[in-house]
Amino acid sequence: MPNNSVENGATATGEAMGHSGRDIKELGKTLLQIGTLLMTSGANSRRIRTTIDRISEAFEVSTELLITHRALMITIHDSDEDYHHSSLKRTSPHGVNFRMLSGISRMSWRVLDEGWSLRQINEEVGRLVALPHYHRLVILLMVSLAGASFCRLFGGSWLDMLVTFGATFGGLFIRQETVKRNFNPYLCIFFGAFVASLIAGGFLKFGEGISEHALATSVLFLVPGVPLINSFSDLIDGNIMNGIVRSVNGLMISFAIALGLLLAMLVFQL
Amino acid sequence: MEYLSLIEKGIWFGLAAIGFAILFNVPTRTILVIWFMGALGGITKLICMHIGFGVVMSSFAGAGLIGFLSIWAAHSKHSPPMIFAIPSVIPMVPGAFAYRMMLGLIKLAGDQIGEDYDTIVAETINNGLKAIFILMSLAFGVALPMLLTRKESAKDIRLKKIMG
Repeated sequence: MPNNSVENGATATGEAMGHSGRDIKELGKTLLQIGTLLMTSGANSRRIRTTIDRISEAFEVSTELLITHRALMITIHDSDEDYHHSSLKRTSPHGVNFRMLSGISRMSWRVLDEGWSLRQINEEVGRLVALPHYHRLVILLMVSLAGASFCRLFGGSWLDMLVTFGATFGGLFIRQETVKRNFNPYLCIFFGAFVASLIAGGFLKFGEGISEHALATSVLFLVPGVPLINSFSDLIDGNIMNGIVRSVNGLMISFAIALGLLLAMLVFQL
Repeated sequence: MEYLSLIEKGIWFGLAAIGFAILFNVPTRTILVIWFMGALGGITKLICMHIGFGVVMSSFAGAGLIGFLSIWAAHSKHSPPMIFAIPSVIPMVPGAFAYRMMLGLIKLAGDQIGEDYDTIVAETINNGLKAIFILMSLAFGVALPMLLTRKESAKDIRLKKIMG
């Protein structure tokens, strides 16, 4: 793509009614940023489309969107069709962040109801991007507790739960560290699964009274719940392409988990 | 079925849901609701399985309940429904079936074809299909209220109207 920002129409004739070409361009940029933030935070295609449409409605412009996993494309024009603006934006690496989804959803309604200006929207988006995540220790402890709960639900004993807790803690820690060092995302999941099942497998092999449930549930913190559920909701909604892309992504993640689990089982000859 | 063990399982379902909620960085105000929804969905699934619905339809029932509760939660906590629904259904994700399918596949790819090869094939296919169908029913159950009401946003859904 030689230009990713093309302006057509009567920009040269100066100010027309409503929006100027510059306004349209700025609005398009903001809308694209909102769209890519939604995509990387784990929204399905319908949510991205309705949110962008809602904000466009407030500004009395019409927008057309092309939504894909790795890039978003927008064409925006005002009601008189005097100004057009098209641009394309690549999405950053995906990481589920529901606080972002919630914040953008609330913002889009306030834009419509309270008539926010573009500057207010940009400020709010900046604020949402800067919002902190939970403390790392809180995440580690709560996800490990979730792993132990899984173990209990599948019929594990208290001892199994303890093993799963430790395995999940170690696996998630390694995953966070590898993500920080910018490894390939599937490789990060592989490392996490390998370490978690290595810990659980070690206890299963050498410990007394540990059942298989501990090993089976130690890698469950990695299950690609959001990609798979979003995949089906996109497919149901008719966004077949996005649905397929998301399901293949989910399958790749499952494959990485299986590979880590396999390697650990090979190590201990389970 | 004992009520006490049912309640205990509900607590674990809720905790598993919260763990994922924290991993997905949900707003703090939604956590307690997610715990309740995860617990209620899980208990619904267990009760349905006890009645004899089968694991796929039971998961669908649990996910459907979570789907409807998520609309209510979205109204009262001012967040989109999926923020409540996705962490709540994750404890029902068929991890055990997927794990057994994977073990089966490894055995099938082994060096020799043993006498029990047919049994392993049957078990692997059974576990794999269950995993896929449960996943589909979870996604469908969560989307159910939006599909039934044919609305673009949960904000337009009036729960009282649906309930009569």
